[in-house]
Amino acid sequence: MAEQANFERDAMQYAPQLYSAALRMARNPADAEDIVQETFLKAFRAYHTFKEGTNLKAWLYRILTNTYINRYRKQQRRPSEVELGDLQDFYLFRRLGEQTGAEPSAEDSVLDQIVDADVKEALESLPEHFRLPVLLADVEGFSYKEIAQIIDIPIGTVMSRLHRGRKALQQKLWSLAEERGLTGSGP
Amino acid sequence: MSAGCDHAIEYVYNYLDEELTWAHRMRIRWHLRHCDHCCSAFEFETKLKAVIRERGCDEPPPELFDRLHALIQQEAEETS
Repeated sequence: MAEQANFERDAMQYAPQLYSAALRMARNPADAEDIVQETFLKAFRAYHTFKEGTNLKAWLYRILTNTYINRYRKQQRRPSEVELGDLQDFYLFRRLGEQTGAEPSAEDSVLDQIVDADVKEALESLPEHFRLPVLLADVEGFSYKEIAQIIDIPIGTVMSRLHRGRKALQQKLWSLAEERGLTGSGP
Repeated sequence: MSAGCDHAIEYVYNYLDEELTWAHRMRIRWHLRHCDHCCSAFEFETKLKAVIRERGCDEPPPELFDRLHALIQQEAEETS
C-alpha cells in the first residue's frame, strides 16, 4: 500500500525524537513508548488529512502532545496551574557568579560538569504547563509559532511560560549542582 | 545597570531563540558590545541552551522501529 510506504518513509525518521520528548513528558519509558505508539497509529489514520509540503514534524508533535495531555490530564484532578513564585533573571549565572567570585570562566566549568541526568531531572521537575514549552523550544528546537500550534495556546502565553519555565529550570539545575558539590558551597 | 541592561534582560530569550526583528536584534547586539556584564550573561545563556539541547535527550529502545512498523502494518491490513 503506497500510503503506508509513504507514511513510514516520511514519519519514521522522527520516532527517536518523539520517543525522547514523550519520555520527558511521561517520565517513564513504558508510558513513553505507549504514547509514541498511539501517536503513530493516530498519525497514520489521519495521514490523508496531512497536507504535503507543510510541517510534518510539528504535526506529529501536536498529535504526541495531545495524546500525552489526554492520557495524563484525566489522572490529575486539575492541571497543575501552580505558580513558580518570583524568580530572578539569569538565575544560574548570578548564583554561580556569587559562588565563584572573580575566578574567570568558572561558570562555564560548572556547565561542563552538568551531566545528562541533571538536565533530564531538571526538565522533568517542571510543572507540566511550563515543561511542554521548555521541552519543545530548548530540546526540540521549535519556534514560538510552532509551539503555539502544537500546544494550542497563544504565542504570548508560549513566551511567558518559556520565560518562567526556563528560570525554574535554572533554579533546579542550581540545586542539583549544589547537591553534587559543583558550586563550591555545601547544599 | 542601565536602561539598556533592562531592555536586554527583558528580551534575552527572544534574542537567543532568534525571535526578534532585525532592528531589535541589532539594538541588543549594540548593547552587548558595550556592556561586559550583559555580554557574559548572554554567552552563558547561549551555552546553557546548548547544554540542555545536547543532554536532555534519550535514545529509544532499538525495538521501537520494529514495533511501530508492525503496528502500522497491522492497521493497514485491517483497513484495506
